[in-house]
Amino acid sequence: MKRSWKFNIHCFLLTLFALSASAQPVVPDNSPLKIEKAWIQAVPEVSDATAAYMRITNLSASPLRLTDAYSPVATTVEPMITTRKAHDGQEIMGMQSVKELLIPPGSSLELKPGGDHLMIMGLSVHPNEGDLIKLTIRFAPGEQKFDLEVPVYKEEPK
Amino acid sequence: MSETISDNEQNVEPVVSSAGINRRLFIAAASLALALLVGFLFSRYSAYRNVQESFYGQALVPAQEAFDFHLVDQDGNPFRLSQLRGKVVLFSFGFTHCPNVCPTTLSDLAKVYHSLPENDLQRVQVLFVSVDPRRDRPDVMKKYVPYFDKSFIGLTGSEPQIAEAAKAYGAFYEIAQDSAEKPDNYSVNHSAFTYLITPSGKWKLIYNFDQLSDPKKIVQDIEQALREPF
Repeated sequence: MKRSWKFNIHCFLLTLFALSASAQPVVPDNSPLKIEKAWIQAVPEVSDATAAYMRITNLSASPLRLTDAYSPVATTVEPMITTRKAHDGQEIMGMQSVKELLIPPGSSLELKPGGDHLMIMGLSVHPNEGDLIKLTIRFAPGEQKFDLEVPVYKEEPK
Repeated sequence: MSETISDNEQNVEPVVSSAGINRRLFIAAASLALALLVGFLFSRYSAYRNVQESFYGQALVPAQEAFDFHLVDQDGNPFRLSQLRGKVVLFSFGFTHCPNVCPTTLSDLAKVYHSLPENDLQRVQVLFVSVDPRRDRPDVMKKYVPYFDKSFIGLTGSEPQIAEAAKAYGAFYEIAQDSAEKPDNYSVNHSAFTYLITPSGKWKLIYNFDQLSDPKKIVQDIEQALREPF
């Protein structure tokens, strides 16, 4: 009897979770982080790479590290930083793959055009405006994994 | 009045008087010169201030004759900047394998273009010049650049042609090779400015990457450039 009561609660919570999971992006309520404003840049068919942008807020009391990402539409997804260095008095922009992106407790990591981003390389499916692209992001410590469905836009949504 | 004074001086010492007149003449001339100089500087300063205040982009004062680059358009035809006299030209350098800065630049420029009043559309041309001619052949540019707006034109060319154009506008680029095993897998670091050329072929404004996110202000600059001379 006692066991069945617990089981019911579990079923209820699972249903709630499944319901909330149907909205995107999918981040459980008790999650140590919040993901907002996620979008992927639509690029011409000839492009083999694009970028994903979003705001990730660390709600926990300890630092989180974005370590890795994966999408079924691409061969690799890598965390990148945009470098801005001075050369003869002007700014040269470049990018650099990094092992991880740190999110201090209580802070947000802004992945945005001209800044840090997730570079999606080796596209096998071409992302068109209006599509939803599956993207899994992994965080450390632990093996925290978040599955998102990210909308594709041609121009940055405001 | 001055005659009376000089008469008085004459009574005292004629030699001093002539020196006095010279001195007064000198002071008058010097004052006049100073007044002219101050007036001139003030007018230049006002002109400078006007330019500073009325453009959102960084203005070149005075505007320079825009370097007439010789490149190859996305249909494989020779292309010169001077073909676009009578139009405001906005262009930037980049490459098609660029996932972040270049699509952002082009989609920002598309926003600018789509914010223009309808009757100005024919008088504004956006160009995108590749700094990666090895991979960005005309057919690649054709599939890439007009995606952002069908009126946009992609330009490429030989390495010396592109180097010459980049140098003329102070643009910088360098190949960033990650691994020797995959020779075609490289990125290009580059300056990410957008240049505005006036209808008479003057290089007037520069925008940095961050400024492009405010299309309304760029539209105002374009409207002003279309009303040349300033």
